Amino acid sequence: MTIDYSALLYDPVYAELGVPATLSVGTAGEVTITVIDETRPKSNINGTMEVRTTGPGAFARIPELAEKGIVRDDYQGASLTFNGRSWLVRSHELRGSPNGEDVGEVRFLLKAIESSDG
Amino acid sequence: MADVREDILARLLEVAAAVPNVRWAQRNSVDVPENLLPAVMVFDADEETTDTHNRPSNSPFIVQMTPEIVFMEQADEVGSDLTTLRREFIKGVLYDAELNNLVAKSSPRGNGAIRYLGCNTDFGWGRSQSGFLRVLFMFKYTLRPEEL
Repeated sequence: MTIDYSALLYDPVYAELGVPATLSVGTAGEVTITVIDETRPKSNINGTMEVRTTGPGAFARIPELAEKGIVRDDYQGASLTFNGRSWLVRSHELRGSPNGEDVGEVRFLLKAIESSDG
Repeated sequence: MADVREDILARLLEVAAAVPNVRWAQRNSVDVPENLLPAVMVFDADEETTDTHNRPSNSPFIVQMTPEIVFMEQADEVGSDLTTLRREFIKGVLYDAELNNLVAKSSPRGNGAIRYLGCNTDFGWGRSQSGFLRVLFMFKYTLRPEEL
């Protein structure tokens, strides 16, 4: 019997850790989704130099995105607002699920919209 | 006591700090928080000589010092920003009266010199696009053991 990882794993995790987010894709308008904030400290290193910055990111469930009409080609350049900040999707990576990548997660790699100084 | 090396490095930091928009200038610090960008670091330099003449060991000799100066910025247009910082810094160094005087005074026979050697860059991502620009200069001056 196939285990449904969305029902048994992802959905309960998102119910506990997820926060509401607004995703805006081009002229298609806004959709409300649930994301897990993955913003983390990050160091950019050059030789002995180290700039301590922030690596903004978020996880979302691909089935939820698909259900709301968001396909992979829409990810790049979309704006994502959650936890009081707005970001642009600069890149993304797929996190496969044992049931296949189409029912796994996507990790959005984000960049600031407003300013560079945080 | 006169230490041309130290005088040059101290003045380099002042010139780097005076580059427009620079928010933080330090010497030999390697840890920079993003809220202080754009920042610049002046690293104490390598120093070498090719003087192998057969003469007393405490005779004056020519040395070449190559300090590294690293600019850091985080912005959407980080490449343009770094290029602007580089431009202002090169102008600041090559036209700085105090730096030119330091190398000229140390080498009254005309052996002193300041040369821009070039730069290299490195980029990554943080909150925005992040970049480093490492600028290299060569300072040629006379090291006089009797003045140390």
